[in-house]
Amino acid sequence: MVADTLTGTDGIAAAGVGGAGTARRGRTRFLLRHLGTPAAIAAVLGVLYLWVHGLRLDSIERRTLNYTYMHDRVIEHLKLTVVATVIVIVIAIPLGVIISRPRARWVSPVVLALSNLGQAIPSLGLLVLLTIKFGIGFKIAMFGLVVYAVLPVLRNTMVGIQQVDPTLVEAARGMGMTRMQVLFSVELRLAVPVILAGLRTALVLTVGVATLATFVNAGGLGDMIVNGIKLSRHPVLITGSVLTCCIAFLVDWLGNLAEDVLRPRGLS
Amino acid sequence: MFDNSDGGVGIELRELTKRYPGQSAPAVDAISLDVAAGELVVFVGPSGCGKTTTMKMINRLIEPTSGEVRIGGEDVLRMRPDDLRRHVGYVIQQIGLFPHLTIAQNIGVVPKLLGWSKTRITDRIDELLGLVGLDAAQFRSRYPRQLSGGQQQRVGVARALAADPPVMLMDEPFGATDPITREHLQNEFLRLQRELRKTIIFVTHDFEEAIRLGDRIVVLREGSHIAQYDRPARILGAPADDYVAGFIGTASTLKRLALITVEDVFPADGGPPPAAGLPEVDTAATLREALDAMVANGTEEVAAVSGDIRHRLTYHDVCQAIQTNGREVEPSGG
Ligand SMILES: Nc1ncnc2c1ncn2[C@@H]1O[C@H](COP(=O)(O)OP(=O)(O)O)[C@@H](O)[C@H]1O
Ligand SMILES: [Mg+2]
Repeated sequence: MVADTLTGTDGIAAAGVGGAGTARRGRTRFLLRHLGTPAAIAAVLGVLYLWVHGLRLDSIERRTLNYTYMHDRVIEHLKLTVVATVIVIVIAIPLGVIISRPRARWVSPVVLALSNLGQAIPSLGLLVLLTIKFGIGFKIAMFGLVVYAVLPVLRNTMVGIQQVDPTLVEAARGMGMTRMQVLFSVELRLAVPVILAGLRTALVLTVGVATLATFVNAGGLGDMIVNGIKLSRHPVLITGSVLTCCIAFLVDWLGNLAEDVLRPRGLS
Repeated sequence: MFDNSDGGVGIELRELTKRYPGQSAPAVDAISLDVAAGELVVFVGPSGCGKTTTMKMINRLIEPTSGEVRIGGEDVLRMRPDDLRRHVGYVIQQIGLFPHLTIAQNIGVVPKLLGWSKTRITDRIDELLGLVGLDAAQFRSRYPRQLSGGQQQRVGVARALAADPPVMLMDEPFGATDPITREHLQNEFLRLQRELRKTIIFVTHDFEEAIRLGDRIVVLREGSHIAQYDRPARILGAPADDYVAGFIGTASTLKRLALITVEDVFPADGGPPPAAGLPEVDTAATLREALDAMVANGTEEVAAVSGDIRHRLTYHDVCQAIQTNGREVEPSGG
C-alpha cells in the first residue's frame, strides 16, 4: 500500500543486483578456479609414474616402489592426517567458542601468543621429546600432530567469533534469541569462513608433519622418504616426497572447496 | 503476553535507575514516565544523556539497578527476558540485519522463535514487505548487502513489526541515512504508525525529527532527567526552561511555524477583536497557514476563528511568537 513510495535512489541499488546470468557466470568461475589444482596433481602423478616406470629398479627399490607398499603408506599417512584433524576439530572448536565468550576475553592474547610460538616449535624436536617421555607408536604420533594443529584452529575459531559485528549480536538478543541461539545461528555461522581457513592451515600442516611419524614407528610416507635417504635410493625419496606434496595440495584444494561451499551465502 | 485487546498497551517507568559499575553518577537517575497506549513518544537529548540506557532497560538488554518497568500493567522485571523481547519490537541505528540470511529469513526471525507455522510466516513476510514499501517478489530472497541503506532500514522496521508486538523501541533508527532518505523514511513511518497505532518509544538526538514524529516529546538532560514532557506544539509554544528553549533554537523558523498553532500563541484574554472583512483562519490552524493567508490577501492581519469567537492575529504577533519560542540559546546554555 506504500509501494508507490519506492524512491529513485532506492531503485538504483536494486538494479545493480544480477539475475540468472550472474549465477551462471559464477558457476563457470567456480569450476575454473577449482579444476586447476586436481588437474595439476594428476599431471604430476602421471609424470612421476612414467619416470619411475622408465627406471631400471634394483631389488631394494622394487620392495618400496610397488603398488601395495605405496598404497599402504599413503593410507597410513591419510589416516594420521584425518584422525588428527578430527581430534583437532573436536577439541579446538568448542574450546575456541569458550574462550571467545566475553568473560574469557583475557585468554585471547595468551592464545594468540601461543599460536605464534607454536609455529616456531620445531616439530621434530617435539616428537623426539614425546618419544623420550612416552615411547613410540600411533598414539604418540597422533598426540604430536594434534598439539601441532590445534593452535591454528583454536585461534581462528576465537578470532572468527570475536570479529562478528557486536551490533548483530545485540540485534539478535534484542529480538529474543537465547545465548545459544545467538551462538549457533549468528556467531558461528558468520565465523565459518575464518574457522575453515584455520582448519585448512591445520590440515596442510598436518600432512607435512605426519612425515615425521616414521620416527615414532607410526608409518606414513615418512617411511619412504627416510628409507630413500638412508639407503641413498633417490627414486624412493623422490616418490615419497612428491606423494606427500600431492596429498598436501589435494587437502588444500579440498579445504578451499569447502570454504567456497560452506561460506554462508550473502557474505561478500 | 501483553493484553492488547483494547488496542494497545501503555508503558510505565517508575524511578528507573541505572548505575554502571565504577561510575559515580548514575547514567539514568530515577526516571518516571507514563507512555499512553498507541502513542509515539520521542526521547530527545544530547549524546550521552542516557536515552539508549533508558530504552534498553525496557526490554532488559540492560538490567536496571533499581526501579520498575511496566508494560500493559505487567512487571517486566518478572518476565523471562527472552520472552519479553520476542514481544517488544526493537530497531537500532546500525539496523543489524543478519548478512547470512535473506530478507525473508531476517524478517521471519521472531515469528520462527515464536513457533509460527511456515505458511503463516511466509504470508506475514510478504505482507510486511508491502507495508514498508518493498516489492515482496523482488526483495524476499535477496541478501542485506544487496540493498541500499534506506531499504535495509525498512527491512529493519519490518523485522521489528514481524510478530505484531504492541510495543516498539527504536534507537535512532534513521540516524545513519542521508537527509533525503531520512525524511522519506520518517514520512512513511508516520503513515504506518497512523495505521498501526503501536506504543512506541523513539530515541533521537535530532530535535526536528522529534517534532516531526512525536505525539509527545520527552526532552532529557544529563542522567536522563526529564526537562519537559509534552506535545510538540506545547514544547515549541511554551518551553519549560532555557535548556528546552536551546533545543528549539536548533530547529529552523519555518519548521516551527508549521508546528505551532494559532491557539498555542494566543494570549489568554484573546486580545482585541479583529476588524471586519479580514481573511479568516481557524484557531487550530498553524502559524504558517495564518501567514499564508496574510500573504495571499495582502494584509498584515487575519481573524482567528473558533466557533463564534473571533480574535485578531497580526503579523507582529506571529513574529513575536517565533522569537520568544525560539530564543537562540545554545543547548548547553541552560
Ligand atoms: N556499558 C556501559 N558501561 C559504562 N558506561 C556506559 C555504558 N553504556 C553507556 N554508558 C554511559 O552512560 C551514559 C549514557 O549513555 P547512553 O545511554 O548511551 O546515552 P545516549 O543514548 O543518550 O547517547 C554515558 O555517559 C555513557 O558513557
Ligand atoms: Mg544512544
